[in-house]
Amino acid sequence: MSRGPVRPYVITGGRSLAGRDALEFESLLRTVPGVAVDPMVVNREQLAVLEMCRELLSVAEVAAHLGLPISVLKVLVDDLWELGAIQVLPPARPAERAPLALIEEVLVGLRQLR
Amino acid sequence: MVSASSAEPAYLPSSVQGAVKILVTGPFGVGKTTLVGALSEIDPLRTEETMTSVGEGVDDVTGRPHKATTTVALDFGRITLSSRLALYLFGTPGQQRFWPLWEDLSRGALGAIALVDSRRLEESFDVLGLLEEQRIPFAVAVNVFPDTPAYPEAELRTALDLLPGVPILTCDVRDEDAAHRLLIDFVDHLRVGALELS
Ligand SMILES: Nc1nc2c(ncn2[C@@H]2O[C@H](COP(=O)(O)OP(=O)(O)OP(=O)(O)O)[C@@H](O)[C@H]2O)c(=O)[nH]1
Ligand SMILES: [Mg+2]
Repeated sequence: MSRGPVRPYVITGGRSLAGRDALEFESLLRTVPGVAVDPMVVNREQLAVLEMCRELLSVAEVAAHLGLPISVLKVLVDDLWELGAIQVLPPARPAERAPLALIEEVLVGLRQLR
Repeated sequence: MVSASSAEPAYLPSSVQGAVKILVTGPFGVGKTTLVGALSEIDPLRTEETMTSVGEGVDDVTGRPHKATTTVALDFGRITLSSRLALYLFGTPGQQRFWPLWEDLSRGALGAIALVDSRRLEESFDVLGLLEEQRIPFAVAVNVFPDTPAYPEAELRTALDLLPGVPILTCDVRDEDAAHRLLIDFVDHLRVGALELS
């Protein structure tokens, strides 16, 4: 798929802030299986997001693959979430603390890699 | 804006339930991208973020403060840790002008690896100060270049003015095994820190 540069203002409908704060760079996205969205209510970038997220990817990965700034992608995803078209898996770690069990899970995973 | 990558994305296993992130930071050209690439299971990806910040100084013509729009390239990689958990590694520029981006990047991060080039320690002062100020758990990792002088650890610690709890690790970030050991040592340091808090 090739496309020219898009102005963030245009593709986010003039808004520059996400409606909620929950989306992080490492939040994971997946299109709701079998969802039918009305092509009149989403733009072509959002359709591209839905197409790309047929399996699990992070916000940062989708932004990189679609050539969009992360802040722009967040706004697009926010709308898709409101439409019930995309599933968001929040980061494994709550924002304020680093539970020991999670760090240990990371360590075990890393040690098993080689 | 970066051009769209044509390759099919490398999807995570559908069993994954969430992700964590670790930042790789340091001054210009210290080896952040190289380290992320050595650790990542996918070809490292890059996304650009525009950032509006009030620059230093005053505009010559208007007399108003400079407002600069900077584009920050973030490169990042990924490690699938288990059937349920993934780790993202974000190469994060450490220069002061990129700090507006740190709020978003550091929120929820387990910690940061601060790469240091011991031939130009002073370039790391800014980012070490920021990590301390924001209370982001971190370790210093000296990236060994061919002509890197071997400083005794105590000397480095003094020169960087590090708190006693901050470890100084060493790594040739081009070497995948060394990079992997560095990451394990770093997460083990995080574990010890979390143990003390619990
Ligand atoms: N000899 C040697 N060269 C290295 C090492 N690490 C990185 N380099 C080289 O140093 C240069 C800068 O490395 P990068 O990984 O791009 O550094 P960076 O921190 O991402 O740089 P910026 O994103 O521009 O701030 C590259 O040409 C690397 O090949 C190392 O450990 N030894
Ligand atoms: Mg780089």
